[in-house]
Amino acid sequence: MFGYMGKILRVNLTDKKVSEEPLDRHTARKFLGARGLGAKILFDELKLGTDPLGPENKLVIATGILTGIPIPGSARFVVMAKSPLTGIWGESPAGGFFGNELKAVGYDAVILEGKASRPVYLWVNESETEFRDAGHLWGKLTRDVQREIFKEVKDETAIVGCIGPAGENMVKFASILFDFNHVAGRTGMGAVMGSKNLKAIAVRGTQRPKYADEEKLIDLSLKELANKGETTRRGCYWPDALDKYGSNVDYRYWQLTGRLPTQNFRKCTFPGYQNVIAETVSSTILIRTNTCPHCPIQCNRIVQVSHPYEVDPDYGGPEYETTAALSSFCMNDSLAALAKANELCNKYAMDTISTGVTIAFAMECYEKGLITSKDTEGIDLTWGNPEAMIQIVEKIAHRQGIGDLLAEGVRRASKKIGHGAEEFAMHVKGMEIPMHEGRGKKGHGFSYTISNRGACHLQMESDDLFEETPYPEVGIDETVKADRLYAGPEKVKLVKVVNDLFILYDCLPICRWTVYPDGGKRVETFAKIINAATGWNVTIGELMTVGERVCNLERAFNVREGINRKDDVLPKRLLEEPLPDGPYKGETIGKKALDKMLDHWYALRKWDKDSGIPTREKLEELGLKYVADELENIGPPRKAEKHSPS
Amino acid sequence: MQEKFIFCDPDKCLGCLICEFVCSAAKGKSTDPLLSRIRVVNFEPVGSMAIACVLCKDTPCVRVCPRKALKQEEKTGVVLVDEDKCNGCCWCFEACPFGAIAFNPQKKVVMICDYCDGDPACVKYCPFDGALTLSRIDEVAHSRRKDVFKEILKETAGKRA
Repeated sequence: MFGYMGKILRVNLTDKKVSEEPLDRHTARKFLGARGLGAKILFDELKLGTDPLGPENKLVIATGILTGIPIPGSARFVVMAKSPLTGIWGESPAGGFFGNELKAVGYDAVILEGKASRPVYLWVNESETEFRDAGHLWGKLTRDVQREIFKEVKDETAIVGCIGPAGENMVKFASILFDFNHVAGRTGMGAVMGSKNLKAIAVRGTQRPKYADEEKLIDLSLKELANKGETTRRGCYWPDALDKYGSNVDYRYWQLTGRLPTQNFRKCTFPGYQNVIAETVSSTILIRTNTCPHCPIQCNRIVQVSHPYEVDPDYGGPEYETTAALSSFCMNDSLAALAKANELCNKYAMDTISTGVTIAFAMECYEKGLITSKDTEGIDLTWGNPEAMIQIVEKIAHRQGIGDLLAEGVRRASKKIGHGAEEFAMHVKGMEIPMHEGRGKKGHGFSYTISNRGACHLQMESDDLFEETPYPEVGIDETVKADRLYAGPEKVKLVKVVNDLFILYDCLPICRWTVYPDGGKRVETFAKIINAATGWNVTIGELMTVGERVCNLERAFNVREGINRKDDVLPKRLLEEPLPDGPYKGETIGKKALDKMLDHWYALRKWDKDSGIPTREKLEELGLKYVADELENIGPPRKAEKHSPS
Repeated sequence: MQEKFIFCDPDKCLGCLICEFVCSAAKGKSTDPLLSRIRVVNFEPVGSMAIACVLCKDTPCVRVCPRKALKQEEKTGVVLVDEDKCNGCCWCFEACPFGAIAFNPQKKVVMICDYCDGDPACVKYCPFDGALTLSRIDEVAHSRRKDVFKEILKETAGKRA
């Protein structure tokens, strides 16, 4: 099969068996790869009520057609499993060299199942898979693990993905660190890996897929590479902003427009913002930038600090989400503390967004007296205390003291603390809300409710970006009203189109930095590249249908776990409390408006309006008849049962 | 006038591998990076450099070739490989102090950068300003001197004022 390696590696950790399975041609065309392929595998193979941290859960690492094709942004892959944080569909895309290398050892995807009796790591060298003892690596920090593995496999060019102590301790939002500073952060994939006693995966290979029309593919790739200025240009800011400042370029914009998530969403501007904006980072602690293969953008930051905290440049540097979560969201205005907290999160391999939101939640509890200094063992958790923030990160990673509670994520922690703590636990479906203010860009706020993995900023781009840039090829035309404060049917239409598009991007997979609407109307190019690579004849329409199909499949996965319309909600603070200051002072989303948007959403998606479950008609239209059958088998929508997300 | 050679500044190179792909595409009409004559070394975790033939005066590769398959062009300094004579013994590999010679796994012969007739594709496509350049040795030395000077200025900035 052109464009793919055509094989999937299945690793059973329980009995240390390895098998190869062919990748079905029809599956490939229907789901493309990466996120789509993983959704299909997990829906088909996981049973209702699987324990996310039990041996029955499966961890899928999948690449797609574009992985390995030398165009900017293509070096992506997606890690998927049932999430221990949310109890539903969990997926976490990442970049760096791992995806390309996984394809180079001859596999489109790896399925990891079962549970090893003792800590092991996996060494895949040119299709030869070897289990190696990881007893001596258990408990070690991510960088040391990677260096140690280089020595043991006697290959410094191997690419290693590993978990840190947080994953071993099954911190519910533990991440997997690939290649030193590329992270599959969200939904707790590191905890799944830790639950399987799998410390790391190292890959090294030189194989590559056959392409249908190599000459055309080269032409298209060279054109894309020559086009690099266009791909990084974003209308809101200035050319090559990402090159110079990384994703943190957004920070100042959100501050100035009064939409910077601050103090657990109680405020929307942050007085100390000058200390942590990208310009300050670039002129003080930045020592160099880094990039993924075949990408000219260099958004990856590498920072070094020596005082008052020692920050190791090996662990990269904070990008936008991290910066906001660990600075304004916790009211911390110390750049050194932010860099240190980011370093610790990468050292122990934890998601920086969830860590920041959890710390902010703890700080609000402390302020309200729900957590006392006795609970924190003397740590003074007042807002903006950098020292406390760093100590809590350590405690969470090792599950010591209060860290044990906070390591469960804000949903479980707030339930346990009680006394109204649920009201300010900022999560949707159990996943901590990322650093975009939904009240000041309502499409984005709405997308948190409908995202399949819980609150996620990657299912819809900021409304601002679409205000002046129609994209009729995919359905964003003049009839779509993109105004950032508008929350009505035309906005829901925009969210649907962008949602399908963004899910498609994860199926290809392609980095979102290269596909923004003003610089990157690239779906047409992707169609051409896919056709050159595979010999198919796909159109933009067919690609968009893949996005919709995968969205429906993931939703069906969630429905099977007990998710329905009642779970598509936002925390009270975003719904009811108005923005306190800035240009958008007084804005809320509002329960009624959200309900109306949801009505439109289900109607557009052709899902049942009362339950939010995909209809048989829609599923059959998308070629997912077996999914409709399975949903019917499990019966009508249920209330959350014992097995379902708690 | 001295000839120009492909110079990679490790301070600016980020190891994105674009030069490898562009070389395979230009020289091998393939996307396979193994067909590239320029190779990127990524040191973990931060730091990388691309290496191609540097046009030595003393060409150890030409001297060691037992089949006289390599020949240095007098005018440009480029080392040409006679693919009919080369049998892929790879002695030149061992002789090259830069590791600038690559092996073509399909044809089983060695490959050496031929500078694309004076206009290397890799330099054209390098996205990072000044990372990969076609420079004369004196230009490289001069830019190095400038860097040193800048450093000194920075260090003495407080003292001079």
